Amino acid sequence: MIQLRHFWAVLALLVCSSYSYSEEVYGTSPNAAAFGLNWVMTNVLPQQAGLTVNGVVYRYTAVKDPDSDMIVWVQNENAIDGGYIFRESDDWSGLPGNTITKQVPVGSIPIEYWGDGSIQVDGDGSVTDPLVVYNYRYDSCFQVTTDPLCPDYIPPVDPIDIATEDPLDDEYVKEQLERKAVLDEEDEEDRKRRQKMSEEEREDRRLESILGAVNSSLLAVESLKKHSELLSLNYIPVNYFDSLPDPQQYGDAVVLKDSNLPENRKARRQSVSQQLLHQELVNLQYEK
Amino acid sequence: MLKKVLPVVLMGLMSSAVAAEIPIVGTVESKCVITTDTQGVYGNPTPSKLTTNMSDGGVPPIVRYDVIQADYYKALISHPETFTESPALGDVVNWVGLVEVAEVSDASMSAYDNDKRLYNNVTEIDLTIAGSTWFKVTSTANYGYDKAFPAGQYRATVQAECIAI
Repeated sequence: MIQLRHFWAVLALLVCSSYSYSEEVYGTSPNAAAFGLNWVMTNVLPQQAGLTVNGVVYRYTAVKDPDSDMIVWVQNENAIDGGYIFRESDDWSGLPGNTITKQVPVGSIPIEYWGDGSIQVDGDGSVTDPLVVYNYRYDSCFQVTTDPLCPDYIPPVDPIDIATEDPLDDEYVKEQLERKAVLDEEDEEDRKRRQKMSEEEREDRRLESILGAVNSSLLAVESLKKHSELLSLNYIPVNYFDSLPDPQQYGDAVVLKDSNLPENRKARRQSVSQQLLHQELVNLQYEK
Repeated sequence: MLKKVLPVVLMGLMSSAVAAEIPIVGTVESKCVITTDTQGVYGNPTPSKLTTNMSDGGVPPIVRYDVIQADYYKALISHPETFTESPALGDVVNWVGLVEVAEVSDASMSAYDNDKRLYNNVTEIDLTIAGSTWFKVTSTANYGYDKAFPAGQYRATVQAECIAI
């Protein structure tokens, strides 16, 4: 009986064993340098989420003079951090040209880092028949929503219809918006009016300063004119002295008969009375 | 009785020498590997000439040397001087051959062509750089003085060796 139960338990486990599906895809890109020495990685690598590049294989033929210097760089820019994510150099300086084939492993670098690629030649020489391929891998179940066969598959969610009300349809909201629009309009008009006034004031000031400048120049001209007139008043003609009669001495017309001036006794009285009055006025200030 | 015999037996066992052999095993992997990259084909541009030149319809054989440790090996490549298989030939066959570097995995290896040593039909090159080097062998056979080769299968062999130095 127990053995029978064990048998059924084992059978049930075998039947109920889960089946998980996940596919690792390995691939090689086409020749990135097929159309030139510069290429864009989006045209080379499949745009698959979770894709990583494991290695780069390149080949080209260097054509050069054996004595000349030449360095060839095979490189990819780092699309995220700047600089280069991959860069290999081949120094052909002083060597005869030849065909080179190199396989360079890189440590599973994600696709996001792989920027534009190029073959750069420094020196005298050229590169012919270039070949650059990238070895990559990705998991087809990297995104759980893509394939129903993937483990942890999440089916897409159906959109839910939700009745929504547009707040702009509300009457009170509309009223407030209109009121706000009117206020904004009035504010705008005030602002324009103020702006216009300030412009007119600025215009007036400019006019005043111009007129002031003109006025001051006119005044200057006027003053110059007056000054010249005054100078002309002081002008003594050359022939003035010619019109004078012969020089003679002109004596004083009024002659005093005597040199003594007698005293005026009548004036004495007036002066004494004035003195007395003056003294009375002075004494007034000392009376208590 | 047993008490007397047993200690004697035990002492006899303890006094004898015990020996064992412990093996030490090591494997030396070859640090120089030769691989045939391309088999050669003779073209027959003229009745008296068999050649591997591509312009004459031939295919030059290419042999690849993979060297893991630099400066420990030299390559010895011999171009053919006789047919290993051919119809009966009544006249002399004049052989011309050349070994040259066709492809490299390191730019410095292109200097092998300048530094190679030639003697008889052998080209000797010191493998001073680790990596892979492809050597192309051209071989041309002329029969007599402008004499037509008899019809049949012709086969020759390129000998490639990696000698430790």
